[in-house]
Amino acid sequence: MAATLKAGRLPGASSKRRRMNWTPYLFLLLPLALYFVWIIAPTFYTIYLSLTNWNGVDPIPGFVGLQNFERLFTKDRTFSEALLNNVRWLVVFITIPTTLGLGLAMIFNNEMRGGRWYKISFYSPLVMSLPVIGLIWGWVYHPRAGLLNGFLQAIGVADPPGWLGDRDLAIWAVIIAAVWRQVGYVMVLYLAGLKNIDPSFVDAARVDGANRWQLFRHVILPLLAPVTTIIVVISIIDSLRAFDLVSIMTRGAQDTQVLANFMYIEAFNNYRMGYGAAIAVVLFAISLIFIGFYLSRVIRDELEY
Amino acid sequence: MSRNKWFIAVLLMGVALLSVVSVLAQDGTVAYNSYASDPLPRAFDEKIVAMWNEQHPDMQVQHSIINHEDFKQAIRAYLLAEPAPDVLTWFAGNRARFFIDRGLIMDFSDAWQAEGFDDVYAPGFNALATVNEGKYFLPTSYYWWAVYYRPSLFEKAGIEKAPETFDELLGVCESLNAAGITPFTIGARFRWPAAAWFDYLNMRTNGPEFHINLMLLQESYLDDRVKATFANWRKLLDAGCFVEDPAALDWQEAVDDMVQERAAMYLMGAFITDSYPDELEEDLDFFRFPIIDPAIPVGEDAPTDGYFIAAQARNPEGAKAFLAFLGSKDVQQMAFEELGRLPTRTDVDISQAEPATQQGIQLIQSADYVAQFYDRDTTPAMAEAGMDGFMRFWDNPDDIDTILQDLENERLRILEEEAQ
Amino acid sequence: MTTAAKTTTPPAVQAEARAANMRRLGGSAGLYIFLTVLTIVWLLPVIAAFITSFRTMDEISIQGFWSIPQQFTLTNFNEAWNQARVSRYLGNSFAITIPSLIGMLFLSSLSAYALARYKFRLNLPIYFMFVAGTMLPFQILLLPVFRLTNALGLYNTQFSLILIHTAFQLGFCTFVLRNFMKTVPGEIFDAARVDGAGEFRMFWQIMIPLSLPALAALATLEFTWVFNDYLWAIILLQDDALKPVTAGLATLRGQFNTNWPVITAGALIATLPTLLVFIFLQRYFIQGLTLGSGK
Repeated sequence: MAATLKAGRLPGASSKRRRMNWTPYLFLLLPLALYFVWIIAPTFYTIYLSLTNWNGVDPIPGFVGLQNFERLFTKDRTFSEALLNNVRWLVVFITIPTTLGLGLAMIFNNEMRGGRWYKISFYSPLVMSLPVIGLIWGWVYHPRAGLLNGFLQAIGVADPPGWLGDRDLAIWAVIIAAVWRQVGYVMVLYLAGLKNIDPSFVDAARVDGANRWQLFRHVILPLLAPVTTIIVVISIIDSLRAFDLVSIMTRGAQDTQVLANFMYIEAFNNYRMGYGAAIAVVLFAISLIFIGFYLSRVIRDELEY
Repeated sequence: MSRNKWFIAVLLMGVALLSVVSVLAQDGTVAYNSYASDPLPRAFDEKIVAMWNEQHPDMQVQHSIINHEDFKQAIRAYLLAEPAPDVLTWFAGNRARFFIDRGLIMDFSDAWQAEGFDDVYAPGFNALATVNEGKYFLPTSYYWWAVYYRPSLFEKAGIEKAPETFDELLGVCESLNAAGITPFTIGARFRWPAAAWFDYLNMRTNGPEFHINLMLLQESYLDDRVKATFANWRKLLDAGCFVEDPAALDWQEAVDDMVQERAAMYLMGAFITDSYPDELEEDLDFFRFPIIDPAIPVGEDAPTDGYFIAAQARNPEGAKAFLAFLGSKDVQQMAFEELGRLPTRTDVDISQAEPATQQGIQLIQSADYVAQFYDRDTTPAMAEAGMDGFMRFWDNPDDIDTILQDLENERLRILEEEAQ
Repeated sequence: MTTAAKTTTPPAVQAEARAANMRRLGGSAGLYIFLTVLTIVWLLPVIAAFITSFRTMDEISIQGFWSIPQQFTLTNFNEAWNQARVSRYLGNSFAITIPSLIGMLFLSSLSAYALARYKFRLNLPIYFMFVAGTMLPFQILLLPVFRLTNALGLYNTQFSLILIHTAFQLGFCTFVLRNFMKTVPGEIFDAARVDGAGEFRMFWQIMIPLSLPALAALATLEFTWVFNDYLWAIILLQDDALKPVTAGLATLRGQFNTNWPVITAGALIATLPTLLVFIFLQRYFIQGLTLGSGK
């Protein structure tokens, strides 16, 4: 539909096209200036810093080439641990919330009495800030008086785990808190996707005698593919950015380090700004793959019209 | 195009709005950032600031209390910033030295001389203040570390006296376990309580001299002596001396284990009483960390706290005046009486000290060597790696070789960075 | 482009489809029981926090969390509001969030207007740059932004937070608004031009009113995002008196570390503004989310 709108667009502008038209640049001046100063330039500055051993204090950073990256990938165990945790986070994020969110969206896509309140229940974690979620889940996981261990003890588990204090469980415990928030998000996006499905497809399939599973598997799911792609990209980016929950719940202790928190520690605790910048650049490089993928879809959509 | 004047006007307004540099009113106030976030120290901190503000209506102190653990991280950003806060709470030792070496702390020798601090600060504390003849850190109080315990629980487990040797300590663990009481509680969510165990075990196993050389990165973490320290630690772990999952608890939450009689002992600083219910303090005592090798000198942890002025302070003159107040006899006297912190000045009256405080002073005075604390004696990056290593050891003692190798790598890296 | 698609589906078809769905699933009581149980389990952490906030820590630590509450008390809320300074932190959050919202919506509608309405050589490259920026990991900005605020004398001011939020969200807002504005037919502007309206007047008096639905959706969504920011607040502020509620809350655990009722009470109060915005403006909130990913 955008194509038709575009055709009718700007007849006035075309007559002026021979002259350079500065109007759009006037409109863009302020936003672009702000964007360059605070977003674009800092990105490049960080890339530059990653090639230095800057300690945050010296006026001029010392250039060390790729040394920081060499250390990250060959000598730094914390880095590989953090990277692994980000990958765990990512794998959980693109599977569990996506499945759960889709399931819930399928249920709530039907008109049902009181559906709105059920939906609100699942969305509400989405509007909580991550520090709040970190505090609330910290209380749930509390080894002595917490909800979870209180329950486990009540049903007769003699020695319930220490959750955030348990090296094998801690990162998963943090990720579950993150998933709890993410499910509502995914559900919203799928609900919107379902609303856009032309009912005639569904009806046609039903006339052909498809059962509910077949309908879902062969009609609805393929039609939701674009939404799924977006959700997967968003989930990946979110899991790479993960910082707040780790910072609030564990500070990266007990094998819960993630790249973002590790970068913070190296830069601001150890005054290894160059090294911290290198971690950020690795994070950026990984994101870039998915940003590129996402961008290519946007570009394709743009050029189709 | 005349219509565009609206457009341009709005643009200009936007530019003006966005380029306003909100210059803070430089009205002679002193910004004071403090880590005294626990209830009792907080109340005390607020009280002395109120005292100052009452006396100095023209030079008010703007007080920010930041959560203790957050402060320790955030201070590094504060000091790099312009302007930095004027006066900050901090720790003596390498932890202050790290900032001094980077030019982030202001030399306040003039104020030190003017106040005549040379005459009233004990030589050891004078040394803690000094780097290359300059005065950078104002040490105002210290406290002891010891094994705190509940005598009533010892009694319940049939233990007759506090352990003095390592073997006796293992025996105490056994008796307590037999009585169904966890011997030691520890809340190591922020890791440093585990570092106290390393400090003491290392000093008792290898002596203070080796310990401090290790802190100064002059000894290797792969040294057999370090391994001997961890072997002793392992004995305690294998004997079931500790509460499970220490990393799940804050240090104050672990105090509850003692309060509620689940655990009998806690290796902790004297500030444990800040978080201990007053009505139960009757049944709280402490003893010196048991001796492992009687042949070697005895070292104790006695961390010194104090204040400094940031190099980028907005108001250096006001900061120095406030610092002089914080280091004054009156304030130290109050800190001693109300918080039980030991004074660094020789002219504070400590004759009225409670028996527990006397005992603590005795503990420090009888020591052959006084260390600060692991994360104050060694460099920040080493402390970060070291405390991570201690926690890893706690959970997986079998991994000790790789843990020590990682610590050694970090040590070499820091030396390399310092050489640059 | 969800909104546009929605309007193109004939309502009758939708109603019919929904009625069919009702027949299949809606009536079953089993579904309701299942959903109710699931919802309760889902909200259990919040319910637990809620109940905790009315109890005393002594009672919980002695009798365990799953005991029958003996007494309900409001003192925890009082303590969180006053001693823990949640009231002040909340005020700061609004002082940061509202100007950021105005800034980002105004500036992004300017850029979106330019990108949606004009043909020029750099149009698509600039658009793609904004789109790419929406997915940038903010860690890459941390050190330079910290340095920049210092250099500009903006460190430790709420204004620095307003600036970075405005800038960081510009990409997303521009992306959403530009796509929305593209759906506005150009004929409207031609008529205005005949009447002699200038470019800015057309923007301000025609495009902005037409874009209000998208602006409202964005405002609702961005409100929760900016309000809930934690990282920038801890990097750019050092005075406790300036901190927003997220950064203030993180310190609650230091001040009341063994007193979970006060901590949970503070956490619940802190959530109230975004929760209210969400409940009352739910439609906009969800529109905002779907607009942002509609393509």
